[in-house]
Amino acid sequence: MPRTPHSAPATRQPHDDPGPGARSVHQKPGPDTLLATDDLVIDIPGRPPGAPLELTVDPGQCWGILGPNGAGKSTLLQTLAGLRAARAGRIDIKGQGISTLPRAELARRLGLVFQTHHDGFPATVLETALIGRHPYLRPWDIETAEDYARARAALAEMDLADLEDRMVDTLSGGERQRLAIATVLTQDPSLLLLDEPTSQLDLHHQVAVLNRVQAIVAQEHRAAVLVLHDVNLAARYCDHLLLLFPDGQACWGPTATMLVPSALERLYNQPLSVGEVDGLPVFLPRSE
Amino acid sequence: MTRSFLLATAVLLPASLLAILIALAFGSVAIAPADLLAVVAGDGSRLHDTLVLELRLPRALAAFAAGGLLGLAGALMQVLLRNPLADPYVLGLSGGASVGALLAMLAGLSMFSVSLAAFAGALLSTVIVFGLAHGTGSWTPTRLLLTGVVVAAGWGAMISFLLAVSPTAELPGMLYWLMGDVSHARNPYPAWIVLVLVVLLALPLGRTLNVLARGPMQAAALGVAVRPVEWSIYIAAALITATAVMQVGAVGFVGLIVPHMLRLIFGNDQRVILPASALGGGILLTLADTLARTMIAPEQLPVGVITAMLGVPVFLFLLYRSR
Amino acid sequence: MLYRSRLVLALLATCALLVSPASHADTDAVSVTDDTDRQVRLEAPATRIVSLAPHITEVLFAVGAGDKLVGVTQHSDFPPEAERIPRIGGYSRIDLERVVQLDPDLVVAWRSGNSASQIERMRELGLNVYVSEPRSFEGVASSMRRMARLAGTEDQGQVAVQAFLDEIETLRLDYEDRAPVRLFYQVWEQPLMTVNDEHLISEAIRLCGGVNVFGHLDRLVPRMDREAVIEADPEVIIGGGMGEDRPDWVLAWEQWEDMTAVQRDNLYFIPPSLLQRHTPRIAEGTRLMCEELERARSRRTD
Repeated sequence: MPRTPHSAPATRQPHDDPGPGARSVHQKPGPDTLLATDDLVIDIPGRPPGAPLELTVDPGQCWGILGPNGAGKSTLLQTLAGLRAARAGRIDIKGQGISTLPRAELARRLGLVFQTHHDGFPATVLETALIGRHPYLRPWDIETAEDYARARAALAEMDLADLEDRMVDTLSGGERQRLAIATVLTQDPSLLLLDEPTSQLDLHHQVAVLNRVQAIVAQEHRAAVLVLHDVNLAARYCDHLLLLFPDGQACWGPTATMLVPSALERLYNQPLSVGEVDGLPVFLPRSE
Repeated sequence: MTRSFLLATAVLLPASLLAILIALAFGSVAIAPADLLAVVAGDGSRLHDTLVLELRLPRALAAFAAGGLLGLAGALMQVLLRNPLADPYVLGLSGGASVGALLAMLAGLSMFSVSLAAFAGALLSTVIVFGLAHGTGSWTPTRLLLTGVVVAAGWGAMISFLLAVSPTAELPGMLYWLMGDVSHARNPYPAWIVLVLVVLLALPLGRTLNVLARGPMQAAALGVAVRPVEWSIYIAAALITATAVMQVGAVGFVGLIVPHMLRLIFGNDQRVILPASALGGGILLTLADTLARTMIAPEQLPVGVITAMLGVPVFLFLLYRSR
Repeated sequence: MLYRSRLVLALLATCALLVSPASHADTDAVSVTDDTDRQVRLEAPATRIVSLAPHITEVLFAVGAGDKLVGVTQHSDFPPEAERIPRIGGYSRIDLERVVQLDPDLVVAWRSGNSASQIERMRELGLNVYVSEPRSFEGVASSMRRMARLAGTEDQGQVAVQAFLDEIETLRLDYEDRAPVRLFYQVWEQPLMTVNDEHLISEAIRLCGGVNVFGHLDRLVPRMDREAVIEADPEVIIGGGMGEDRPDWVLAWEQWEDMTAVQRDNLYFIPPSLLQRHTPRIAEGTRLMCEELERARSRRTD
């Protein structure tokens, strides 16, 4: 990623005013905090370490991660989910170090939807959604009627109820993405980590998915972290944003303080036009 | 899951009994149904008792256990590799086990050491194939199959080499490793013990395998300790392949066609497919061996010929469909 | 009086009948050691014999036990009467059910041809198994004696053994000390195979005053490189093959015109059934070989 010549160090807030060292709005983790990172440096092989992250995700929050391709968004999300080792720092999930948590317990606390969906072994839609219950079942347990009900409810919410007997490999890209979200809804963790959940969806389903995420976050002790490419959706659905710059710098804070056009232009290396619709800022790419 | 489990049980258990009954009823010597009943009732003639209880029954049990092991090994490897073309024969595990066993036999080791050597050969094959074929994150069908085919061919050459340098007197006993042949099978009970043990251990792992079938990352995100599970399955697959090879040599394609056909009927839940593959493999090999014994009697065919005649078209069809 | 003596006679006869089974068993039991050093003991000479290899069938016929054979393997084609005996599968894969059904009191097995586990299985089923593995002329003779003993045809067997040994001895006297002839015995063409000095065929070669050019090799049936044969430049090449007719590859050596065997036209064929089977017919094969070697000697120019 070429660094734009005029870019200021991104360890500052997008507002130009605060002095050196004021990196971001940093809340101290409280007793209810779902996710907290302490000087977390993610590991992208072959790249110098990026800025250490001090994130605190509390119940009721919906975080959006914005950044250009290759900035490490997916890597960060997978590191937060405990699937990748960090280069440095620590991650606490509900106050416990992520490396001390057994995998099954971790899977009850957080769920991750991947950006790409690999061709797994043949399975039906319902079977796939049902594996979201796996972290809650002991080895000999068989899924109960309640587990099935949860899976079916999640499929219905993602408009997949009619497809429950279809084989996964016959689904369209968007249907598979909705199925992946239905699976994590069935898993029902406190913390949702979604990697580009809307990338393959039509407009209606984009809104449906994000509305659902918003509704979940509104419940007690729930939060979500979303990797998004659409700044406007992020502006509308996320209350906090983390901007990952291509040079490894980062800044984060409440959405209102982060949506600074100059910062976003630097983030994407793309001139933007800003407007306002329904009281919300709207960013559109501007050709020079 | 419960429904298809019950369905599979209701279909496959009676079918297993039927297959063994057919194996008992047919052979190169004709035994009338009434005489067979008499043997079962305990008042058959001495000849019929010997034929049914001492020749056909142990052989049917050996074929069933070996077939069950191969079916189970195929089902396990397919779900691990997320690829319906995986099979211990195609991927060279059987070849590795054969080479291990042959080497131990040539060295004049005890039967127990021969079994251990077969296990080591299967395990080595597993490590080679999976180690080399593991690309970035997933096993692509072509890469996996190519690796497997090459490794299997390597083992084939090793077997030919061992046969070429072995004393002539040992040849007939060694050749059957290549073909797969139940006529040399001895005591069927160790294979049964391994079969029952692995099925019992695999059942509680079934749901974990369902998750693993979605891919290792997805499985890890759902709370599966991927590495330990994968390794225990590899070792289990190597162990049961080696046990089957010890029993009947390198019989091909049972592990390929049985799980595939069962998945068409009973779906993809591993808790159903694993035990069903054990039963289905047992049924297939028992019936195939009955054919091998009777088709051109008194000439006896190696059972591997029959399974290959069934397996090759099925394999080609699968390969054709798998893009 | 007459009546009484008859009664006594009848009583005696009854006693004799009562007593005879025991004494019978005592006198008729036969016991030999087979080629795996296992004791084979029959309560009485065998009357129903199953042969597990074509050459064993042949030996049993030679010692006069042919009419006691109730089952033989495929390809038991000599003598022609053997063709009419029920088949029990090929030697490497015996149809055990047929064997059991035939209810034999003796099974004669071939150690290097039959499956060890099938032999073991037959023993478990209570069958008397004699395992045969002759490796020399003396071994053939000894096999004949032992099989004859088990079949209760020792007299006929002794005649056959004596005839066999006499013929061998005659050949030995006539040819063993003749001028050595270096020869290459070709078992098969593809792959090119010969035998080493351990092999029965080499015993025939030595007896005829021949020298096997590859006798020193380690393996019993070594695979050869054609170059090695050309380099060894044998004076005689004798081909075996499979059937009763000379295979084409014996004359194919003619393309190597510099070879002594080719220049002197010493390319011969001896039917393998006469030389490769461990039966008394090997004496006939040996005679043929001795005659070919003698012909080769006559073609020497110096």
